[in-house]
Amino acid sequence: MDEFQEILQDFLIESFELIEQLDQDLVELESRPDDLDLLNRIFRVAHTIKGASSFLNFDVLTHLTHHMENLLNMARHGDLVIDADVMDVILESIDLMKALLVRIRDSGADAGLEVGQCVERLDAVANGTPLSSVTETVTVTASETVVAVEPQTDAEEEADYSGMSEAEVEAEIERLIAQRQAEDAAKRANKANSSAPVEEEPDYEGMDDAEVEAEIERLLAKRQAEDAAKRAQKAAETSTAPSVAAPVAAPITSEPMPQSEPIPAPVPVAPAAPAVQPKVEAKPATPVARRAAEPKEEGENRGGGAVEQTIRVDVKRLDHLMNLIGELVLGKNRLIKINDDVEERYEGEAFLEELNQVVSIVSLVTTDLQIAVMKTRMLPIGKVFNKFPRMIRDLSRELNKKIELEITGEETELDKSIVEEIGDPLVHIIRNSCDHGIETPDVRLSSGKEETGTIHLKAYHEGNHIVIQIIDDGKGLDAEMLKLKSIEKGIITEKEAEGMSEKEAFGLIFRPGFSTAAQVTSVSGRGVGMDVVKTNIEKLNGMIDIDSEVGKGTSMKLKIPLTLAIIQALLVGVQEEYYAIPLASVLETVRISKDEIYTVESRSVMRLRDEVLSLVHIGDIFEVERVFDNSEHAYVVVLGLAESKIGLIVDSLVGQEEIVIKSLGEYLKGIEGIAGATIRGDGGVTLIVDVAALMQMAKSVKSTVGQESAEAKGRLGVKNKPSDYKVMIVDDSKTDRTIMRKSLEPMGITLVEATDGIEALNILKQADHTFDAMLIDIEMPRMDGYSLAAEIKKYNKYKNLPLIAVTSRTGKADRMRGVESGMVEYITKPYSSEYLMNVVKRNIKFNEGL
Amino acid sequence: MSEKLQQIINKQHKSLSGDDIKIDEVIQLVGFIVGDEEFSVPILSIQEIIKPISWTRVPQTPPYILGVFNLRGSVIPLIDLRSRFGLEMIKHTEETRFIVMKNGDDVAGFVIDRLTEAIRLPKRDVGPAPETISEGESMIDGVGKQADRIITILKVGKLLERNF
Repeated sequence: MDEFQEILQDFLIESFELIEQLDQDLVELESRPDDLDLLNRIFRVAHTIKGASSFLNFDVLTHLTHHMENLLNMARHGDLVIDADVMDVILESIDLMKALLVRIRDSGADAGLEVGQCVERLDAVANGTPLSSVTETVTVTASETVVAVEPQTDAEEEADYSGMSEAEVEAEIERLIAQRQAEDAAKRANKANSSAPVEEEPDYEGMDDAEVEAEIERLLAKRQAEDAAKRAQKAAETSTAPSVAAPVAAPITSEPMPQSEPIPAPVPVAPAAPAVQPKVEAKPATPVARRAAEPKEEGENRGGGAVEQTIRVDVKRLDHLMNLIGELVLGKNRLIKINDDVEERYEGEAFLEELNQVVSIVSLVTTDLQIAVMKTRMLPIGKVFNKFPRMIRDLSRELNKKIELEITGEETELDKSIVEEIGDPLVHIIRNSCDHGIETPDVRLSSGKEETGTIHLKAYHEGNHIVIQIIDDGKGLDAEMLKLKSIEKGIITEKEAEGMSEKEAFGLIFRPGFSTAAQVTSVSGRGVGMDVVKTNIEKLNGMIDIDSEVGKGTSMKLKIPLTLAIIQALLVGVQEEYYAIPLASVLETVRISKDEIYTVESRSVMRLRDEVLSLVHIGDIFEVERVFDNSEHAYVVVLGLAESKIGLIVDSLVGQEEIVIKSLGEYLKGIEGIAGATIRGDGGVTLIVDVAALMQMAKSVKSTVGQESAEAKGRLGVKNKPSDYKVMIVDDSKTDRTIMRKSLEPMGITLVEATDGIEALNILKQADHTFDAMLIDIEMPRMDGYSLAAEIKKYNKYKNLPLIAVTSRTGKADRMRGVESGMVEYITKPYSSEYLMNVVKRNIKFNEGL
Repeated sequence: MSEKLQQIINKQHKSLSGDDIKIDEVIQLVGFIVGDEEFSVPILSIQEIIKPISWTRVPQTPPYILGVFNLRGSVIPLIDLRSRFGLEMIKHTEETRFIVMKNGDDVAGFVIDRLTEAIRLPKRDVGPAPETISEGESMIDGVGKQADRIITILKVGKLLERNF
């Protein structure tokens, strides 16, 4: 049974490939119905699939494809003109064929789908009968055609048989059955011979000649014995794989010559295979090599003479190769870093130059190698684009619109994994364009446009990105209307709508649940499609840009990174931590001063040129403990993903680096906001920001940007009881310290004493305590109050620590000096206990309730 | 040289096959201290033991997950066993080690206070986990009894199971 499975796999792979091309060809055919090349190509597909499926006992599929072939053959000989109606029937049958193939792939059998009606229609069209009278004519057509057609199950040309006498036909049948049996034997491990006649039943049915059947029965029985012997012999002389490949190869490759006479019966199957030219390479036993022959064949089928030098490789192998390259890139990064360090330490030494050279060669080659391997994973986007002409055709008929699709740049290549992901979003966008964008012909005419609408599908490279653009010349998006609809559906509030720019309004179409369609049609209107687009594009770290003008049309631009495994990233720092942000999502970075940050409805925003950008601090997203945060300036990384934008505030920008995405493993997977990790040049691990998730998180994170109190709270931790507050008293006089202590003790706060500036500074440095305020005497030995304050303010950590001067100096100059050195309050001795307590309370934000 | 090698291999083979029956009955464990208690895990579930290296904090995780570290190119989670067992975390000392444990494809590093020794324990000396702990939740596989002490054998699979 394994052998059978293997053949089945090959059959399916091949069939799906053929069909992919078929759709394209058929749509083309409609516009050029007399292109014989095209017709031949389409005919061959039907023929090939029929041939192979009859081998594999897929009766239903054989039955269907046989009738398709019949029809196409007529068209090929000029007996039938292909018009839109005929095309509809053909396309319907192709769809049915696809459905059958999918069913075979999933369940291994082609039962359960009704092809009868479709076959009837096919035959009706073939006979030039109007579709309405199908039922009457069917029986006639069936009996007429079947006799002529019966031998065709052997993948031979039918025309030659029609003229034969019955005796000749019988002889031919005998010969062909013999051939078939031999081939079947090779393929099927289980020798269900009884199934052979069954398989051809639909065709035999038409033959009322009982003799023929009896004859066949007899021959089958006879062959059975021979087959068993042959099988044993073959198994002995050839390895399984090639012998399996051969019978499949034979019918396929014999097809490209439609005018051929019946090929002399090649009874032993294995020898037949080498005779077929393109299959010679298919002999090697490894599955990979065998499959390699197929694209070659395709190339030939398309009429090209040049033989492509291609080989099929398992994607897993490429993935593995990519992983190895990833390791190499990390090694390279590390080497560069070490080289820099060495350069610093041994500046001017002779060996440095040599080291430099080696490092740069290694890094160059690594980069080239990486690009080369990336290229092996590249597929032309045409693979995805191919299915759209057919889709447009169906949609335009369904919607009664005239739509033309123009495709450019289908040869643009991008990573396989991305090609797989991009299909769905494009389908949704194009459906949307057809349904909502392009107007009906009369509307178009009345608005002075051409009757036929155009959708332009365009792909091109832009730096490290591929851009896919979908442009339609339809009615365009109306920002106001979008806002109204969104408010209606409760997606946004009126207030939100007011502040929306045109672009933001266009972005509304991506919100889940949004739909402008008055009613749900089979094409669109459920409000799901564009949401899918956004999710998929975000998954690929891509961006969406919409441009639209009412009445003129809409242009949607998808910008997607070329590859996913190794990316360029911007490294940013927050406190002691570093994070990598995929550069693909970074639009720009700006340095702003803190007072450029505004708060609107408890959210931080800034003005970026003519836009209002909402801000979020990376520390708030990733729970970074903020020990110090007081520089006048902040760096804002402007992130763009799909159609949304956000400003991410970071402490520092480290630079751009090539990083390899590594998973965090099973244990830590799915951490919100983290896409993975990478290993840096210094061997440390840096987390990679998941921009899409970050944008989601930013919505719920309470921003603390520029909010001093929240910052202070963060710094000081939670205060549950008065003793959680700590105040340091710095005074050289024991008496003064005692007075202060006595004044403050009633509050119940913790007091720490220091006798001069140096001691105070040491206590601070030890960091055993976190102080909420300091009371500082000015006149002190070793280090006075002013110097102490200045020293303390040098530490980022203590920039916001309230320093209160307690002194007998009352001169204005003294006060000024105090302010200059960073004191916030100035208490002159003598003072009342209450006054001191109040000042302290105010400065440490003492909570009386505790 | 090669002869000598062959001899050694033969010897090893012999000792292996000779010990066959014995090995079946003995489990080999690596013992370590976390807090005041001695724990152990089967030696075969240990990938390696390393001295502490720097790690990177991972946000949105429970406190016992210290973060991730780089083990020769692999990014591996680091879990503090003290914290995992509800003890207070302490500063790493000279004796602190990371034990990298694996169970199938799951790998993680665990911070322990110090290593004790490799232990060979006859199977009959291993008792079941105390019954007070509900079956599914228990991180304890069994309790080994040795002359003067009791060694808790941990379930590596459970340790490597994400529970947040």
